Amino acid sequence: MAITRITNIANTIPDASIANEKLSDIVNFKNIIINGDMSIAQRGTSVSGITSGGYYTLDRFNFNMVTMGTWTMSQDSDVPTGQGFAKSLKLDCTTADASPSAGDRLRIMQAIEGQNLQYLKYATANAESLTLSFWVKSNKTGTYNASFYNDNVVRYISKSYTINSADTWEKKTITYAGDTVGSIGNTNTNILQLQMWFGAGSNFTSGTLATSWEAETASNMAVGQVNLADATSNYINITGVQLEAGDTASEFEFLPVDVNLERCLRYLQFIDAEYFIVARWDNNAGNPIGQLNFLKTMRAAPTASAIGTFSTGAGYAGTPSFNNIQTVCLAPSGADSISANSIRYLHNGLFKMESEL
Amino acid sequence: MITSVEKNYHPMSNEFDNYKIIKDGVTYFIPLDEANTDYQAIQEWIAAGNEVIDNGA
Repeated sequence: MAITRITNIANTIPDASIANEKLSDIVNFKNIIINGDMSIAQRGTSVSGITSGGYYTLDRFNFNMVTMGTWTMSQDSDVPTGQGFAKSLKLDCTTADASPSAGDRLRIMQAIEGQNLQYLKYATANAESLTLSFWVKSNKTGTYNASFYNDNVVRYISKSYTINSADTWEKKTITYAGDTVGSIGNTNTNILQLQMWFGAGSNFTSGTLATSWEAETASNMAVGQVNLADATSNYINITGVQLEAGDTASEFEFLPVDVNLERCLRYLQFIDAEYFIVARWDNNAGNPIGQLNFLKTMRAAPTASAIGTFSTGAGYAGTPSFNNIQTVCLAPSGADSISANSIRYLHNGLFKMESEL
Repeated sequence: MITSVEKNYHPMSNEFDNYKIIKDGVTYFIPLDEANTDYQAIQEWIAAGNEVIDNGA
């Protein structure tokens, strides 16, 4: 007979400690953070000369910076020994800013869709705690902050941690109370955002750290934060970022690389235009058009762009424009008008579709 | 930083289809989807008093 339901599996295991461990291990996708092992870098493995915020290398991790030096962001092979990780995120300071202005900030962030977080039961008495764990290494010891911003209700919580030893991998675990007041919107836009601080101006450090959920107050976000941007010798590596419901950190949830990539494709896709056919088939001359189906349904209709140099000349359609942009497909069109009922090719470039948060 | 925003028309229907923008020197096509963060940025850019180019279909 086929198994149709498994009920209360913990009760079938006599030793509670074993039961709890096994339960945490069998929860698929318990890690709310996507690409926490830093294995996916569709945009490239290293970008130098970074002076402003944006998505640069590792998928889903947004480098958020306002005038705090110049940085190289890379997917690095320096990892904690014996933990199963192959890659880490590295930030390397190449131009220092030892005296940041009041509004300056330096952090990496990951925004999480609210519709994936309804099980946290926020804004109820049963709101779940969250536990963040990660491995970190830096030459710059001292106090750092890791925070959460709830975009739906503009609320904030922040906890500090200490990097104790220079140039040494350390594992950090931080637990945050669930928010019994502020709800998380059940949409693809309302977000909970992890913010890992590496530098902050006085606008973000002059208050009292928001160690409980409160209405967002800038001065309470990053109190005590060291300035990772104060010397060109500074760097930080991070990997194994895991965020899970509950009061304890479980073992990192390693996913197959194809599963990790699949999750990232919801937010970013590159597709080669080897010989992508565009045509004019309506008995009228004009710009040729075709249909590109995405590799996976995207979070929202994506921003589209053409990357690289598209071939021009006989048979080719040049650098494309994009129309009919939806979550599952779009319509690339050629740059020049062609005669009715004829075809051209988009060739040699890349289509980039991005629907990050 | 956004330097220009232009209405982009569909090559066959001739209807307003999306925004063509130049940001940091790169051309992007932004769908009319309120969940798209670049679309949200365009609305803020317009609200700040900037003008959208409209050359028609």
